[in-house]
Amino acid sequence: MTSIGTGYDLSNSVFSPDGRNFQVEYASKAVENGGTSIGLRVKDGVILAVEKLVTSKLLVPQSNRRIESVDRHAGIVFSGLIPDGRHFVSRARQEASSWRGTYESPISVSTLADRMGGYAQAYTLYSSVRPFGITAIIGGVDENGPQLYMIEPSGSYWGYHGAATGKGRQAAKSEIEKLDLKELTLREAIKHAAKIIAVAHEDSKDKEFELEMTWVGLEETGGKHVPVPKELVEEAEKWAKKEIEGDDDEEDEKMEE
Amino acid sequence: MFRNSYDNDSVTFSPQGRIFQVEYALEAIKQGSAAVGLVSKTHAVLVALKRNAEELGSYQKKIIGIDSHFGIALAGLAPDARVLSNFMRQQAMSSRLLYNRPIAIKRVVDSIAEKAQVNTQHYGRRPYGVGLLVAGVDKAGPHLWEFQPSGMVLEYKGAAIGARSQSARTYLERNFEEFENVDKDELIKHGLQALRDSLAQDKELTSANTSIAVVGVGEDFVLYDGDSVQVWLDKLGETRSSRRRAEEEPATTEATTTETTTETTTEGAAGSSTEGQTGPGGPAGPLDPAGENMDTTE
Repeated sequence: MTSIGTGYDLSNSVFSPDGRNFQVEYASKAVENGGTSIGLRVKDGVILAVEKLVTSKLLVPQSNRRIESVDRHAGIVFSGLIPDGRHFVSRARQEASSWRGTYESPISVSTLADRMGGYAQAYTLYSSVRPFGITAIIGGVDENGPQLYMIEPSGSYWGYHGAATGKGRQAAKSEIEKLDLKELTLREAIKHAAKIIAVAHEDSKDKEFELEMTWVGLEETGGKHVPVPKELVEEAEKWAKKEIEGDDDEEDEKMEE
Repeated sequence: MFRNSYDNDSVTFSPQGRIFQVEYALEAIKQGSAAVGLVSKTHAVLVALKRNAEELGSYQKKIIGIDSHFGIALAGLAPDARVLSNFMRQQAMSSRLLYNRPIAIKRVVDSIAEKAQVNTQHYGRRPYGVGLLVAGVDKAGPHLWEFQPSGMVLEYKGAAIGARSQSARTYLERNFEEFENVDKDELIKHGLQALRDSLAQDKELTSANTSIAVVGVGEDFVLYDGDSVQVWLDKLGETRSSRRRAEEEPATTEATTTETTTETTTEGAAGSSTEGQTGPGGPAGPLDPAGENMDTTE
């Protein structure tokens, strides 16, 4: 790596001669080591899902949640340094709550993403702080329907139909690209979300993981961001497992041909 | 002086995306003596091994009650733990004052997690150098959380932190499935058995160096120190680590065991701990009366 030893990578808010901010790039490296997170924006809502690596069997299953609500209509999932993510979420809650205080209406998801993008960007400006070691996916519904945004450590953000970040993002992205997101419903999409996370986990198969999934639907959940019911998650996981085994068989057949 | 150029402060990422200052803070926990926590359906238990800086000195407090429904065990820098426990007390009190209800364990744990995270992102601060086990009971039942200086908090069925805690963790991993349905006394016994396995070669559990705390559904948080601990040590019977027993029992005449691991006490004063217990190869059964009668600071 050309950055090391130049001295331009030792402090935040310092440009290298070719115009890069290495500390921000290193923050992205922290993201790349975290469990995979995805967001799917479909016809009638948004799904957020995360691959939670189980580091000890003494952990309480289903506790230690990673996807959090920011307001009634929006949630955030993130990959990277978990404590950074928690702080980020808490700031997002403040933004959502202060919006309600001022305008007596829920904050739109695009505004929330814009505010949080600005917040993340501020942490790239000063040598007295470090950038956030997370990439966050914000999903929700507002007057414009289902919305999905992804914010990077640099503070830049884009809107997405399907977003993925974390260790297995490449596999997850190519899996998302196979879907016709505009036509899918939430009920169908939870199965695909389970499969995408399972596929993204393939590379670290020796470690166990727990699938955590939330959704916010126009009709399905009455516009509220809530966890996907346990039975549906289990059903989706079962379906995903079968699908992946099926895919493997197909590949084997092709190999034989 | 520094190991590399990326570990001077907590606002610098390494090229791999690591923050070394935070990782070093996690090491500070291992300098402290062990603490173990575990939960059943009805109770949450904390047990901890106390150290004294010198034979005639008092033992450093390891378990702190926060509110009547929860408390903490610490490993690492004790002053940092006191700052955090004071903060938790404030949180707990304001919950009672504002909402007239005991604070949920997750809420109070999240509040210190957020506090700790800020110290890892701003220049001029340092991460806390202490790990905590927070055990308590709320509306949803008994809970055990582990807190780390990184701001990471995780809920466990059983957890161990501090020096040699891996041995205690191994015990917990082998036995945690039983914990759920055992009664209070049995749960404490499991805790002591786990703690016992984390002991150094020449140490054993005594009423002077062991702290026990219990909280249950409908039962307030109680801390047992000093003589009140003896009841449970009697129930436990064997107070040496299983590793040492395995080594000592087959051979009747064993050479003096040389302890190679050097310990530095982080909590308590500096220097290696010389505790008033039976030395290497000493008698197994009766406890050293000097150690037993030593009063604690609680």
